[in-house]
Amino acid sequence: MSTFAVWMRRIGTICYLALALAGLGALVSAGLFFIALHDLPRVPDPLGRIIETPPTEIFASTGERLMIIGGREVVPLNRISSEFIHAVIATEDHRFWDHHGLDKLRTLKALWVTLFEPGKIQGASTITQQLAKNLFFSYQRTYMRKFRELMVALQIETQYSKREILEAYLNQIPFGVGAYGIEQAARSFFGKPALELNLAEAALLAGLPKSPTRYNPYRHFERARKRQQLVLARMVAVGYITAEEAEAAAQTKLQLAPLEGGTPRGSYFLDLVLNDLEERYGPEVVYHGGLKVSTTLDPQQQNWAIESLQSGLLKLDQLLGITAADDAGATHSSSHPQGALVAVECTSGAVKAMVGGRDYSETEFNRAVENNRLPGSGFKPFLYYAAFEKLKLMPNSVFVDKPITVPVAGAPDWRPKNFRREYEGPMILKQALTKSVNAVAAQLVERVGPEAVIDVARHCGITSPLSPVYSLALGTSGVSPLEMAAAFTTFANGGVQHKPFWIRRVEDPLGRVLEEHIVRGQRSLDASIVYQIVDMMRGVLTSGTGGVIRRLGFDLPAAGKTGTTDDYRDAWFTGFTPTLCVSVWVGYDRGISMRDVNGVGITGGRGAAPIWADFMIKATSGEPAREFVVPSDIHFATVNPINGAIAGAWVQHKVKVALRAGQTASNAPVQPTETVTGRSATEIMDEATLQKGDEPATQTVGQPFVDTADDSLIREEELPPD
Amino acid sequence: MTDWAQPSDFKEWGKRMFALRPLLIFTLICAIFILELRFDWIERLLGSYLVTTNSARPESGSIWEKSHQTRTAQQTLEQIITDRQALQREARSAASFTQIAASVTPQNGVMLSADHFRQLYVRLAPTIAREIIEPLDLLVFVSKGQWRRTYFEKSGSGLAVYLLDADNRVLRQLELSSVLLSQLQRGEVALAESLDELPNFKNRIYTADQFFESLESFHEEARHSMLPHPELLLAAPGQIVRVGISDETQAGFIELGFEFFADNQRRVLVVQGQEWAVWRLRAHLEGLDQDQAPGQPQGQK
Repeated sequence: MSTFAVWMRRIGTICYLALALAGLGALVSAGLFFIALHDLPRVPDPLGRIIETPPTEIFASTGERLMIIGGREVVPLNRISSEFIHAVIATEDHRFWDHHGLDKLRTLKALWVTLFEPGKIQGASTITQQLAKNLFFSYQRTYMRKFRELMVALQIETQYSKREILEAYLNQIPFGVGAYGIEQAARSFFGKPALELNLAEAALLAGLPKSPTRYNPYRHFERARKRQQLVLARMVAVGYITAEEAEAAAQTKLQLAPLEGGTPRGSYFLDLVLNDLEERYGPEVVYHGGLKVSTTLDPQQQNWAIESLQSGLLKLDQLLGITAADDAGATHSSSHPQGALVAVECTSGAVKAMVGGRDYSETEFNRAVENNRLPGSGFKPFLYYAAFEKLKLMPNSVFVDKPITVPVAGAPDWRPKNFRREYEGPMILKQALTKSVNAVAAQLVERVGPEAVIDVARHCGITSPLSPVYSLALGTSGVSPLEMAAAFTTFANGGVQHKPFWIRRVEDPLGRVLEEHIVRGQRSLDASIVYQIVDMMRGVLTSGTGGVIRRLGFDLPAAGKTGTTDDYRDAWFTGFTPTLCVSVWVGYDRGISMRDVNGVGITGGRGAAPIWADFMIKATSGEPAREFVVPSDIHFATVNPINGAIAGAWVQHKVKVALRAGQTASNAPVQPTETVTGRSATEIMDEATLQKGDEPATQTVGQPFVDTADDSLIREEELPPD
Repeated sequence: MTDWAQPSDFKEWGKRMFALRPLLIFTLICAIFILELRFDWIERLLGSYLVTTNSARPESGSIWEKSHQTRTAQQTLEQIITDRQALQREARSAASFTQIAASVTPQNGVMLSADHFRQLYVRLAPTIAREIIEPLDLLVFVSKGQWRRTYFEKSGSGLAVYLLDADNRVLRQLELSSVLLSQLQRGEVALAESLDELPNFKNRIYTADQFFESLESFHEEARHSMLPHPELLLAAPGQIVRVGISDETQAGFIELGFEFFADNQRRVLVVQGQEWAVWRLRAHLEGLDQDQAPGQPQGQK
């Protein structure tokens, strides 16, 4: 056989093989087709049905929309900027107008690259295929899924016009930041309708669907900008624009709109609202029911809350000596202290602002609600109320600040200590609360019993589990900032408790009311005793552990209480005016001690109170000074802070106290009346007065009580005012 | 049939390659290929076939799941709304507090307008109305113009009633105890343990014997006007020991208080009698029956 014949024979064989392979391919395709057809999804008719889900919208108390879930803002093609349409077609599928759902040349090229260029995978999905994928299929990458996707695309192409397909596609693609569809995206990113997008904006948006997170311009602006340039280059290549126009668009300054609904602002609050709605109606109704939810959030106060907390935490970082270098290898949330702030309207219980951490995008854990941390001395107002009510004590009742030991059956003795390990001897209760003296608080709880303190806390709305142990009065049971803020509104309201709430009203898509909140208060505490406690708590701001608040310039009538836990793990300040109650917590998620660069601990007065003051100055700006309502049976007396008697002209540092009917400065009980040494309280007072600064003899008081708390868990927290 | 033989030279190859049949096959293949590239007929063919099978295929895939979820959500909402509206409709058509109480469930309260509450309130006998809220207090709320709506909800076995302002803040909370509601339901008005506790009655309290002897002296029509529903008193347990006549009249009626004694306990039921008839009864009881009673219809004297 000649060489020529051999070659011809080979060519012939190749031709037959190719034909056979083509036949086989056709057979396999036909087989695949029928297999895929078996459970191919039905295509809705009309195609617009895909966007029928009504959106659930969440509104602030001002009517501003905070979030939109699901649903689409559908616009016809003629309400979309032609630049954007061109940009999308140039980027995603430049032969869109020509093919029938499958771009064969691009598919062959992609197949070639995928098969013969190792490590490279090229996609060739047309807009119709992408639409089919988005509508019906998961993002699982399998050949069968691709094939079925292609089949559906072919059907869509046959059933609908190109304009219908493009319109459906543009109205459902995700752009990130919760925006689905071009209208929503244009409004979210540029605050304008899709029709008004210019070339630069259109190119930026057209680049996002490829990876909305990776090209999110709010987070990765430069990356998004490069992607925009790529889109512009594609538009030039396809012939939609000239190179000059592309250059001009690339140079155009992009003005991104501030992030609004569906964005991190207020997201801790929105999470709370959504969780609550899910519990009441179920996830299906929340995410697909098109609810209209009016909440209590005040966007202005929310912004101030975020600003105050973030700036306060930055200052705290500086105090703690945390630098940017410390962030290396650690997430922000673990290397930096966290914080939470909750603002509650006193007269209703409406939550006006809530921040659950320093940055929602880093950690979604809502410390304002879910983080039960020890409140420390922040719990003392409940104790003092219980003591006033049960023991008939008064703000000028005298106790001796001294080391004490409380025997506990079956457990080591409880020896609460003052922060500075110094004891001031006799002092009236108002001074003891203002200075947050643990030794006096321990004597009170030992006498009144922890159950009474729990009872008061429950009446104020604390719902977290509380252990009936002595140390409870010093804040050894965890509570959330929301609970603290809501509970303190009971003091601000003269003893009327309002349950905190965040949803005012829920309507269905047609505006029919599903529920509305009834603002009801319940008298929980005695108004006169409450006023006495409030009057004492006012002293915390004027001359006590929260003095920094006045020095920072907050001058409206207000009351509050600091709190710091063992080893400076938590720093709190919860305070209120007659209208607004705010609780601030700062601390590490992992419970690390907070000490400044000099080793001095961060107390509630140093860590939380400045944030509180900063927020309150903004939130109450322009408000007239409102005084707390004084019950009719309250009268005032100026007393000696050491013996509680009416202060003579010669007495320094006189203290004004609020007394109820029947209480006088002269009948203030002196406590305790009996000691283990058999000496009188007056003797102890005299001795303490004489030996101030010395360590008085340890005194054991009270009946045995099972207390499982660590006896050194809480210490007096407060530094002298900053 | 001729055996196939391998072409031996180029000429033979050429002859065979450019023969009619191979050319036709080649042209056909090319045509198919070009037509497919140009007109996408395979895609169209498949697409058309798929359109014909569309209605028989399952509603599966993410968009259908979403659609089902939306439908379920809408049905759930519709059910909630329907229940709520039924309750509201029932409440809006209620002619008494007992009907309101019947429509309130532990899960769902009902909201009424302030005006509706007032209508129901004024239908109550004054003595029992005072048990709920003093008319003067209610008048104050009305005059202030803050009271917009009234919300009823279950509270234990009774009802809690909230007078609300436009912001849903509670202006005043009222209680309708279960005892009061059940008495209202039976048409009774039991208010106190003794007539002496009711200031309206304390000036005119008679023994039961006195009262019923006097009552018997009137003819049937007058007796019926004095005590239109004696069955209410019959339904009450115990024995009537004293009867009081109220000092006040209201819209042509005067209240009669019947003090019952049963199981070592006393209680008072209040019913209403027509003013003219009760005046005559009272006059008879006080020996003044020759006087003309106010409000007496002509021909009744």
